[in-house]
Amino acid sequence: MAGGMMLLQAAADTAGAYRDFPVIGSRAAIWIAAEVHLMFAAFVLGVPMFAVVAEAIGMVTKDARYDRLSKEFTRLLLVAYSATAIWGAILVFILATLWMKPWAYLTAVFAPSMWLYAALFFFESFTLYLYYYGWERWKHGRAKMVHVGLGVLLNVWGTIVMLIANSWLTYMMTPPRDITPTTDPATIKLWHAIANATWMPINIHRLIANVVFGGAIVGAYASYRFLAAKTDEERAHYDWMGYVGNFIAISALIVLPFAGYWLGREIYQYDQSMGITMMGGFMSWLWVIQAFLIAVLFLAGNYYLWVGMGRIPGAERYRPYTKWLLVVLVLGALVWGTPHTMIADSRELAAMGGSHHPLLGALGVMSAKNTAVNLMILTTFLSFLLYRRANIRQVVPWAKTGTRIQAGMFVIAAAIVLFFGIRGYFVEAIVRIGYSVYQVGAVLACIIFVTVIDVLMARGAQSLGAIQWGKMPPRSQYALFILAVTFTWLMGLMGFARSGIRQHWHVWQVMQDTSQYAATPALGYAAKMISLCVLIFLSLVAFVFWLGGLAEKSTFVPSTVEAPHVGH
Amino acid sequence: MWATNLRIIGIVLGTLALYTLIANKIPQVQSEVPHALTLGANVTPEQLVAAGDQLYHGAGGCTACHGLGTRAPNLLTDEKGQGPIGARCGKREPGKDCKAYVYESLTSPRAYVVPGYEPIMPEMGRILSPQQIWALVAFLESNGGTVDVTASDIPAAVAAPGANSGAAGIANGSTDPMAIIRGAGCTACHKINGEGGAIGPDLTHVGSRLSANLIRESILFPDAKTAKGYEKFKGVMPKTFGHQLNAEQLEALVQFLAAHK
Repeated sequence: MAGGMMLLQAAADTAGAYRDFPVIGSRAAIWIAAEVHLMFAAFVLGVPMFAVVAEAIGMVTKDARYDRLSKEFTRLLLVAYSATAIWGAILVFILATLWMKPWAYLTAVFAPSMWLYAALFFFESFTLYLYYYGWERWKHGRAKMVHVGLGVLLNVWGTIVMLIANSWLTYMMTPPRDITPTTDPATIKLWHAIANATWMPINIHRLIANVVFGGAIVGAYASYRFLAAKTDEERAHYDWMGYVGNFIAISALIVLPFAGYWLGREIYQYDQSMGITMMGGFMSWLWVIQAFLIAVLFLAGNYYLWVGMGRIPGAERYRPYTKWLLVVLVLGALVWGTPHTMIADSRELAAMGGSHHPLLGALGVMSAKNTAVNLMILTTFLSFLLYRRANIRQVVPWAKTGTRIQAGMFVIAAAIVLFFGIRGYFVEAIVRIGYSVYQVGAVLACIIFVTVIDVLMARGAQSLGAIQWGKMPPRSQYALFILAVTFTWLMGLMGFARSGIRQHWHVWQVMQDTSQYAATPALGYAAKMISLCVLIFLSLVAFVFWLGGLAEKSTFVPSTVEAPHVGH
Repeated sequence: MWATNLRIIGIVLGTLALYTLIANKIPQVQSEVPHALTLGANVTPEQLVAAGDQLYHGAGGCTACHGLGTRAPNLLTDEKGQGPIGARCGKREPGKDCKAYVYESLTSPRAYVVPGYEPIMPEMGRILSPQQIWALVAFLESNGGTVDVTASDIPAAVAAPGANSGAAGIANGSTDPMAIIRGAGCTACHKINGEGGAIGPDLTHVGSRLSANLIRESILFPDAKTAKGYEKFKGVMPKTFGHQLNAEQLEALVQFLAAHK
């Protein structure tokens, strides 16, 4: 065998295939390095998307709050980029010094893309410097458009960097089927390895998830600054920022499950056994935990909106409905979290009275779960709609008809979701899987059409009073913290699911993990690792936020003095 | 401000602790690594059954589907009044005894799919060694039947030509194109140089119709494009050659066929 195999052999012969890390072991070392690096990477990809969109809105609407918001976050990015690079370097050193066997293999396949990755990271960093330090210089007129263009370019570099890194990890999960253990890695065409079965689904999933994550972190930052604010003006600004962050996080979260379905379907199509391991094998309990976390997200996100309606004149009209929204969310969460196909020994099966629980088994199937989550999404959208309409009275002549049409769309969407949910119990699995498309389609169509009608209906609407930004009880801000912690934890959990389904393979059915850590650990151990990583990440992010606050004291105060009515 | 900071820290730590606690309270299942089995010439049926039992309930991953009653037939318990697998395996396919049937089910699971179930079982030859597969056969036979796997089966499996899913692969890993064509059973449907059936397109001059890339695609993804006149046979050609052929075999086959102008 040529090049690549010789490289692998040399690594194995001269230094061994693996080394161990002192005290915590190689598995924990690489877990922490990879996870914290990924969390920072998501931060530095999600927040620029948020920042450039906010800047563009500020440019178009001439609303200075958006420009301030965008710049505030770009400042945080400077430090976050350094942290991302440091953790990335730690990850590479750990791979090169402890996991030589898989590292040699991956470099043999992907070397050119790794050089490109480093070059793009360079471009990305310098575009960021230009974007941040050129803010005041290119603040007006055509120069502002060029500045927004720099922000877009920053996102383009960042996205390409992510696509490259995704190709490495998805190759490890789903290498093209013509590649076998005997294939010389040096002979594998780069594009063939990159364009593997799960590359594009992961790209889309991560892109959306980064927006969610960016929004959640912005929300947490805003809530911290809100709680620490000393003036009403500051409180108003950070209350508004928290709302925007939460809005973006929850809006993007609503479409995330659809990207997740696509990824799951590709995994099943690539290898049924991998899909079954993920959903029904040793990882089956993971999805119950995931359901619990997503229930927390839905409940906390909605709770924040409901509490926020307290500062909106006119919102009291909708308060009686919130308890019913809560009922739907709680019932939906309970159904979604119902276990179904679990690995059980004969004693457990006997205790349960069969392979499924006689009562709850019917709720744990995909038909019920899809129905529950789609109804939860509809409910959350309804919360947003009520929030949006809280302080206005529509004056267009067709307002009543429009509202009735909107209500009808909700009813029809819910009926379609329920119909296919119930019908799913009476058809073959392959037909049932297709039903989820109709359910999702009905919900998305409802969201789109109801929003369009609402925007048209709001034309020239009579205001019932301005939103009292800043008049938000502190408990609402803690909900934003819970959202940020839960999003971050969920990211760690999903990372474990994605990586863990490879089980004892570095590269699925191509390169076996022969280290002492080859067995994929149980969820309890994974949860401890995830919590540790989240804690490290949040501690460092808190430090970044603190640094941002220090910088603001010296540079930002004058501009707030110039614009005293921010937030109203 | 310190009180607020402490409250925030408390909420963050409390949330992390809650999630960690819940994840530790549920059943803890670890993915096992299939350890290499070393079975000597004097291995007894009991030793094979014990090794198969461990694999079945552990690294083999069998319990993810079998025994749940929905994805795959029950093997250790009754299935539709026919008893456990050891009692019914000899009656599944005419002319196949229990041992041959169970071995085929593990190595070529799509050769015979029990009515009412989807063909979702992976080829275990890609995951387990021949020793492990025979240990599983013995264990499954022991559930309601008689174990007739012996040490002599195990080396035979390693060398068995045409044991498609085994470690050696199609044609025992040979890169001789005609050996691959015969070993993979292509001539059951395709004719080449006057040899073979007429269900699929004649491959004798396939190189004049298709480029090497298209031939490769047709082998790996047979339903991606269907030859004109053969539409009704779409779906008949197995989609498993990407799993069964190694890269050298695939390339040897592609170049051989592309040269048949």
